[in-house]
Amino acid sequence: MKNSSLVDVKNLHVHFPVFGGVFSRKINSVKAVDGITFSIGKNQTIGMVGESGCGKTTVGRAMINILHHVAPDVEIGGEINYHFDEGEVDFTKLNPKKMQHYRSKVQMIFQDPFASLNPRMTVSQIISEPLQIHTQMSKKEMLDRVGWLLDKVGLQPEQAQRFPHEFSGGQRQRVGIARALATNPDLIICDEPVSALDVSIQAQVINLMMDLQDEFNLSYLFIAHDLSVVEHISDKIVVMYLGNIVEMGDSAEVYHQPRHPYSRALLSSVPLPDPTQKDRNRVVLEGDIPTPLNKPSGCAFRTRCPLAKPDCAEDIPPLSDTGNDHFVACPYWEEKF
Amino acid sequence: MAENQQNLNNEISVSIYKKRWMKFKSMKRGYYSFIIIVSLYLLSFFFPVLINSKAIVVSYNNELYFPAVLDIIPGVSSYYPGERFGQNIPGEADYRKLNKAWQEENSDNWLLMPLYQSDPYEDITSENNKMYESPSANHWLGTDNTGRDVFARLCYAFNISISFALLLTVINYIIGISIGGAMGYFGGKFDLILQRIIEVWANLPMLFVIIILSSILRPSFTLLVAIYTLINWIFLTYYMRAEFYREKAKDYVAASISMGQSNRTIIFRHILPNSLVPVITYFPFSIVAGIAALVSLDFLGFGLPPPTPSWGQMLEIGLQDINKWWMVFSPITAQFMTLLLIVFVGEAIREAFDPKVYSRLR
Repeated sequence: MKNSSLVDVKNLHVHFPVFGGVFSRKINSVKAVDGITFSIGKNQTIGMVGESGCGKTTVGRAMINILHHVAPDVEIGGEINYHFDEGEVDFTKLNPKKMQHYRSKVQMIFQDPFASLNPRMTVSQIISEPLQIHTQMSKKEMLDRVGWLLDKVGLQPEQAQRFPHEFSGGQRQRVGIARALATNPDLIICDEPVSALDVSIQAQVINLMMDLQDEFNLSYLFIAHDLSVVEHISDKIVVMYLGNIVEMGDSAEVYHQPRHPYSRALLSSVPLPDPTQKDRNRVVLEGDIPTPLNKPSGCAFRTRCPLAKPDCAEDIPPLSDTGNDHFVACPYWEEKF
Repeated sequence: MAENQQNLNNEISVSIYKKRWMKFKSMKRGYYSFIIIVSLYLLSFFFPVLINSKAIVVSYNNELYFPAVLDIIPGVSSYYPGERFGQNIPGEADYRKLNKAWQEENSDNWLLMPLYQSDPYEDITSENNKMYESPSANHWLGTDNTGRDVFARLCYAFNISISFALLLTVINYIIGISIGGAMGYFGGKFDLILQRIIEVWANLPMLFVIIILSSILRPSFTLLVAIYTLINWIFLTYYMRAEFYREKAKDYVAASISMGQSNRTIIFRHILPNSLVPVITYFPFSIVAGIAALVSLDFLGFGLPPPTPSWGQMLEIGLQDINKWWMVFSPITAQFMTLLLIVFVGEAIREAFDPKVYSRLR
């Protein structure tokens, strides 16, 4: 069992302040991530699912520490403890200079393969960029490495001098994967890496990622909204709702026996390729996801929950172990609906 | 498979800019306008040896002199007194007379005159020139109110106008792109404060500022460029700021940051090349605006000091006596043709940069 953990996220908060009024004072904040705790083991894949706007992308970006760039005012609390071979670091407390050293250890694969590659650079320039920053390779060594990486992700090394616009979506995503692999990272954050691709291409890319994981001993944080994809690749699944984790557990278990009412509803929305299975208990959630500017008190899900009780509005229910390392943030999970 | 591989290797991979250049070349009107205007401008630096009252080469007593060639180099005097060549006149040598005299004498001294033997500064003090001469073989477009050759002035003014506009545009671009880019990239309070300053600055009544400044200070080429730059860089910042804001939020920049790239490299290698499209397409039109600005200032009399050849001044002189049609007709036509050519170029550049063809929505 892979139990030595690579990163422990403890009580992570990410709040984006909202300014308003005449003097642009802080009047509110978007609580994109509101106290989440989980860990990723070495060589492990954590799948993170949830509706759009639930904060899963923000978690990913917080974990590679790039939120400050686009939102300089962002408030980040909690700890993101990495246990690299060369020592332990907390990414939330590193200054930029020290951060630089660890940038090569954590990489990211982006959702949109059209936007994540600079259209002015050749594939070779794109993939060798991290090498230029983190290694002292000669030009020749770098080209060799680029060719080798292209080969690893199933592209031809001869295509290195081409531009991204000459590739298809799946091929571009492979280029993105090659770039993420270039510096031998320990963790790759995959921000919906396949949701912009065709279904047939999705399978190829997912299988490629699984092969690479075995070969390079990678850990993945796999962010997606497609549950069947996540179940296929992940060891553990984390279900998020409005900035909180509502359920966390072994992937097969969460997928086949979801316990939190939100997960149950989410799972029942997955289409099954079996028309004979008609007796499925489909749950359709009413209403929209509330705004993270003004979250409901207590359990954030209570406004849409079929099991909601009056006392749900009082305290945020903690994640409690329901057996077999399966954590659920709902005291009434055993009830039926 | 093998054949497929072969094809893959044979295809030449080209960058977007190369593709755009090829598309630009395929648009004949713009491309030929571009060739004409660029070669004319390059040629205009050699006008001193083509259109000049000085000789290109003088061989006197077995010594060689190059008065017209010296005119090409700015800041170098091409003045030779007439006595130097045995001419009995006060002041500068008259090469046309010298040429005639030496040919009649059949002497060993010789000189080579330019194709068009007038210069833009030579007025009625020279025997060659009279006031308001109509077009003739000697003066292709006649002479003006002080006997200066209109054609020569027209040609020299072409060089000055384009140089002025180019210099102005390049300086504006450097300032505007740096400031606009910095505002877009760093954002926050820096952007907020600078944007307010720019808004105030942009509301200065520019024409009056120029008129006041150039009536206090003695206007010169550099001063005019400086005055115009004071306000013209602002329009570039609007484009660049927006472009930088947009590009900064894209994933390839996030990827770059996540691998620890420095701000400088991100700005110059990633964002800048991707945000130049609006400013490149704007470039020819900025040149047009520069030329028009110089013409209007010269026309109002606040531009380059006389006797610098300039279209605006020629137009003003011409309008004083509209019966001398060549004096009005020539600067207007020259200006019109120049601006037309540049607009054609601009139109073709805009077309070549149209993203519809190379975008993902192809």
